[in-house]
Amino acid sequence: MNIGDRIVAWSKDEEIKKEGASGGLVTSLLTAALKGELVDEVIALQKVSEFEGVPIRTSNVDEVIKCSGSLHAAPINLTKFAVRFFEAHPDGTLALPAKPCDARGIIEQAKRKKINLEKTYLIGLNCGGTMPPITTMKMLEKMYEINPDDVIEEEIERGKLIFKTEKEEKAISIDELEEAGYGRRENCRYCETNIPVMTDVACGNWGAGKNETFVEIFTEKGLKLMNNAIELGLIETAPATEKGIKIREKTNSVMEKVAKKWHKKIFVPIEDRLERFHYYMDVMEDCIDCEACKYVCPVCACDESKCIDFYDPMDSHKISIYHLVRLLHISDSCIGCGQCTDVCPAEIPLTILHRRMADRIQAKYDYIPGMDMKIPPSFEVE
Amino acid sequence: MEEEWTPKITLFCCNWCSYAGSDDAGVGRKQQPPSTRTIRVMCSGRTDPGFVLTALMEGSDAVLFTGCHIGDCHYISGNYKAKKRFEMLKEILDEIGLEDERLQLQWISASEGSEFAEYIRKVTEEIKAIGPSPLRQEWMK
Ligand SMILES: Cc1cc2nc3c(=O)[nH]c(=O)nc-3n(C[C@H](O)[C@H](O)[C@H](O)COP(=O)(O)OP(=O)(O)OC[C@H]3O[C@@H](n4cnc5c(N)ncnc54)[C@H](O)[C@@H]3O)c2cc1C
Ligand code: FES
Repeated sequence: MNIGDRIVAWSKDEEIKKEGASGGLVTSLLTAALKGELVDEVIALQKVSEFEGVPIRTSNVDEVIKCSGSLHAAPINLTKFAVRFFEAHPDGTLALPAKPCDARGIIEQAKRKKINLEKTYLIGLNCGGTMPPITTMKMLEKMYEINPDDVIEEEIERGKLIFKTEKEEKAISIDELEEAGYGRRENCRYCETNIPVMTDVACGNWGAGKNETFVEIFTEKGLKLMNNAIELGLIETAPATEKGIKIREKTNSVMEKVAKKWHKKIFVPIEDRLERFHYYMDVMEDCIDCEACKYVCPVCACDESKCIDFYDPMDSHKISIYHLVRLLHISDSCIGCGQCTDVCPAEIPLTILHRRMADRIQAKYDYIPGMDMKIPPSFEVE
Repeated sequence: MEEEWTPKITLFCCNWCSYAGSDDAGVGRKQQPPSTRTIRVMCSGRTDPGFVLTALMEGSDAVLFTGCHIGDCHYISGNYKAKKRFEMLKEILDEIGLEDERLQLQWISASEGSEFAEYIRKVTEEIKAIGPSPLRQEWMK
């Protein structure tokens, strides 16, 4: 096996293979990393229901196995959990599954010395998007006429979102759902990074058969992860088929095009200056100063928060300095993960505001955050 | 009696060049409008974006960044940092719909008193032409 190889792989353990999203490879890589003492701890997402997952940090193999399967309606970002690991164990080693936005957050934190990337094994998950849990439950009742509690399985196949219960199975096209205001989270719709090329290995079901995972190996660490699992006899591999490779590339490029379309649709420029002013004043007016957006932000890396340095909840400013400093401060590193909008109790469209600013700055300085360790943060002065 | 409106302009001067330049303008009795509120910082690199945003929110109609000419900063690279911050601030102020004139950057050396006075006259006219800042609360004088 070499760097750059594309293969298909699956778990040798029948139970993991069955429970996993597509062959249980990721779960097996994580357990192998613990068993082979490649890492001290693993972060994984423990399922509470189809609509809720709790991230756990563990060195217990059984707990990792319980986390198998993809939760498409648990839009959580794992970056800050990795930061907490390195705060507790500066010399520790860690492995975790990472969607593109998890991986990009982790790389931005690594640039700011909060995460040691050399000691972090990133098992990338291809991602076509996540769904907001509450809206998805409403969608199930309205569009699918299924009780959310009855759902036992959820799947995406050929642009259709499929829900299964004990009795039935229903599929509706994602386009149709999104037209009706359901489907993926808004930021996922315009996200152009579906295959996490910045990780050690990218895993996904595009281009793979039933109960197998398509894997692309990017780094030395990725190779180590795979070889370790093979040596421990936990996974089985086979070369990817030409057809599989083509399907994966094609699907990826289709998704990219769709994302670009959404970006255009959502980010309509507000040409008039005064209109822009009133837009910002109106949307930020609802802020209740809870600072939740700052806590969840995967790229926020201050030890002492800059954004509250100049701001006091008693201020009677027309636009909150807290948000302006945050807009400025993460404009170079914002990856558009959508966490801020998700947690905002006042329903301020924060991700859109941050993206509007970040698009300007990132284009100006020709910097795309979270892609590799080569380029320093664009705030750095030469 | 209606007085003519004069803008309030917050002026950040670095200790070594632009503050001395503004002093030079005063000593040389160069005419300039009473529109500026000067804040002396040790170096233009000390001008935190938070200062600028606070000034604007608290009723300034414009904010001026000034400092030593590039290459002359007494702390070697302070004005490079100021320049980068200025560029970033420009973007965000434009994004939230503020006029371009409300944030400006000018390098002024200790001996440029007349240039300094000239610059303040020019900026004051520009701000007069565009009127009070929309960020200013109605109750702010
Ligand atoms: C939200 C989401 C969207 C995806 N979209 C695509 C896609 O469009 N195309 C594609 O090819 N593949 C996609 N995948 C990847 C695919 O579903 C499988 O995860 C992948 O093929 C690995 O399968 P597995 O059986 O080896 O994983 P498993 O052995 O089942 O392990 C999955 C691991 O992912 C973790 N996990 C589950 N949900 C999340 C989450 N929301 N965030 C972070 N970690 C999580 C679990 O804790 C577990 O450790 C997506 C995955 C997720 C989580
Ligand atoms: S000392 Fe004047 S800009 Fe640094």
